[in-house]
Amino acid sequence: MTSTFIASSAVSGAVRSSLMKLQAKLAEAQKEVATGRLADVGLSLGFKAGQTVSLRQEHSRLQSITDSNGLVASRLDASQAALKAFAEGAQSFLGQLVVARNSDTAAATIEGQAKAALAGFTDLANTTFNGVALFAGINTDVKPITDYASSPPAANALAVANAFTTAFGISQSNAAVASITPAAMQTFLDGAFANLFDPTAWSSTWSAAADQNTKSRISTSELVETSVNANDEAFRKLASAYTMLADLGTANLSQTTYQAIVDKATLVVGDALQGITALQAKLGSVQERVKNADTRMGIEIDIMTSHIGALEGVDPYEASSRLSTLLTQVETAYAMTARIQQLTLLNYLPTR
Amino acid sequence: MTLSIGLDAALSALSTTADQTSIVSRNVARAGEPGASRKIANLVTLQGGGVKVASVTRAANAALYDKLLGATSDSAAQKAIVDALDRLDATINDPELDASPAALVGKLADALHTYATSPQDAAAARSAVAAAADLAQALNAATGTVQQLRTEADGEMAASVGNINTLLARFETVNTEIVKGTRRGADVTDLLDERDQILTGISAEVGVRTVSRGDNDMAVYTDSGVTLFDVKARAVTFDRTYSFSATTTGNVVYADGVPITGNSGRMLAGSGRLTGLAAIRDTYAPTYQSQLDEIARGLITTFAESDQSATPTLPDVPGLFTYSGAPAMPASGTLVVGLAGSIKVNANVDPSQGGNATRLRDGGISNPGNPAYVYNSTGAAGFSQRLEQLIDALGTQQSFDASAGLVASSTLSGFASSSVSWLQESRKSASADSDYKAALLERASDALTKVTGVNLDEEMTLLLELERSYQASTRLVTTIDNMLAALLQAAG
Repeated sequence: MTSTFIASSAVSGAVRSSLMKLQAKLAEAQKEVATGRLADVGLSLGFKAGQTVSLRQEHSRLQSITDSNGLVASRLDASQAALKAFAEGAQSFLGQLVVARNSDTAAATIEGQAKAALAGFTDLANTTFNGVALFAGINTDVKPITDYASSPPAANALAVANAFTTAFGISQSNAAVASITPAAMQTFLDGAFANLFDPTAWSSTWSAAADQNTKSRISTSELVETSVNANDEAFRKLASAYTMLADLGTANLSQTTYQAIVDKATLVVGDALQGITALQAKLGSVQERVKNADTRMGIEIDIMTSHIGALEGVDPYEASSRLSTLLTQVETAYAMTARIQQLTLLNYLPTR
Repeated sequence: MTLSIGLDAALSALSTTADQTSIVSRNVARAGEPGASRKIANLVTLQGGGVKVASVTRAANAALYDKLLGATSDSAAQKAIVDALDRLDATINDPELDASPAALVGKLADALHTYATSPQDAAAARSAVAAAADLAQALNAATGTVQQLRTEADGEMAASVGNINTLLARFETVNTEIVKGTRRGADVTDLLDERDQILTGISAEVGVRTVSRGDNDMAVYTDSGVTLFDVKARAVTFDRTYSFSATTTGNVVYADGVPITGNSGRMLAGSGRLTGLAAIRDTYAPTYQSQLDEIARGLITTFAESDQSATPTLPDVPGLFTYSGAPAMPASGTLVVGLAGSIKVNANVDPSQGGNATRLRDGGISNPGNPAYVYNSTGAAGFSQRLEQLIDALGTQQSFDASAGLVASSTLSGFASSSVSWLQESRKSASADSDYKAALLERASDALTKVTGVNLDEEMTLLLELERSYQASTRLVTTIDNMLAALLQAAG
């Protein structure tokens, strides 16, 4: 009939359907401009959606390790502070020993000082931080060191008293201790007394700490020991040195026997100090590792954040320019619809 | 008597113009109706010079119409798939919300880590167990979503089948009318339009092929060749399943006794909503379900407890995560259908069910009465070894069943992430495909409307022409009347 034919509904339909599409896109662009992220992340990324889920997981993992490292670091700081106090206590006791060795009257004084030092030692070893006993190994819920001065006498005090009575036939408070020879005392100190501080006896009478130290994961791959425990040789030696002068009847001993004890104690404290330094160094290196791990994870977290942004984000400028283009298009489509509605022969036919 | 012949011709012109006007009116009236075609009056000259409307035909284009049918089927199939996949996306949602099973596995690992850093902290224990419970619930809920989706797809298939049968019955009525009318020589164009519309409706449900025969008769087959209509409508049958679990298999749709959906069958329909729904019910949803099941199995395996005796003799048992088959462990690397629906946190460790959360640290979740499975034999409050072991286990590769359609060996969280990838990639490609098919449909429908639709301007001009010809004819009648009157006067 006619060479080019087009149905009226096709003319208006074309604009209508394209208008629908434009509006759908408009809603999408609006959301993207508002959030700065893809409107439907999964749909836009397809198989790469798994990547962003993994990245987010890893990101939160690192974040949680970084958070827990804060706790680990403050625990380490508290441990270091306590160790420092141990060392200072031992150092000053050493000074007191030197002063006391050659004085006749100093025995009673040093006995008191030793008792105070032992109490201080017990206090420090029982330090808790945020509900965790720092020197108890993994038995974090118990105070590791038994109080020596408690009454009735605790297991550790009883064990010392028993050993003393067994060795010399009298109790420490007996004035007859004056007759103990330096050699006999030496033998006692190296033998029965030293045995009270060997690991097995220590664990049964002195310490409730576990030999196993707490371990913490300070990065995804590093699981390190982050505590030292009260069963360490340094602690045992320190306790034995304090006890020697605190509870072996020091005040009544003969001068030479007393000196033998002081000499032995001086040696033992010196050893203990070395041990404590080693422990400080051990924790120090862990602190260093925690710090390094934090720095490393901080960088990784930054990288992941930007990677997630690159996957899920949209360029805000692109999105907003797309939005304004779409707005213009929609407006044009509206105008066109109105114009096309008017475009009909009816308007030009004469009405009678 | 040539004057009277002229009068007859003028009169026939008048009635023909009236007929043509009525066709213009019909066209104008249906201009906005989709699927209505333009009607054309075909005139013949009568002996003696008169004219009459011999027949009415419609503007049609068989090739474009076939294309429309195909595009309708394809688009409907893709749309059903996209809609369903969008529903499955609810189990993942925006990655930012961390709601997917993959993200919840990560959260559980984080909670375990926090607990391992402060093993004496009962609150950290409870929060780790809560994270585990969240994960188990998410898997249960996702299973619910998947099975609900299958139930609904099955219901929609039933509705679709019902629709096809109704349409076929109407098709039969209309087709019979058309054949009869054509034989009688009546105007069947409106019936043809109606039949086309019914057919378009059927093609949205299932892909069709048509064969036209004499007398405007038509036979309809599915795109795979199964007869839907040939003189008589054939029955399309389907047994609906009212409730789906992961182990349920849906029924097959039969047309004329031949299966047109399902996995086995040589004449399965290739397009239409029915096919899309069947693909969701039988392929997409079950695949996603097996991925969820494998995640659940991976969790049970990862958190299993082993005999801690010096010489272990007892088998591994499910620990933090357990399921209906406990205390037996699910077989390694083998899919257990529906596991994601039954996985739960063991009541012995869940404080909200009267359990003790610290068992997560100490072990013995499976059976608190059996010391063989206790890891923390001394009961130390700072014992973190078991927790660290669990964290390590989460990061260890394990094997997964190939029927889940993902990697064969991966870490648990890697597997869960690749499940996200699978779903989103399916969505992306289905959505792109659907957009493409919808555009094709729009094109086909546009092309057909352009050719067969009504142009109001054309009808108006036609009307003007008819008006003029009517005026001319009436003028002729009056003129001849005057002439006859003059003749009679002269004779009188």
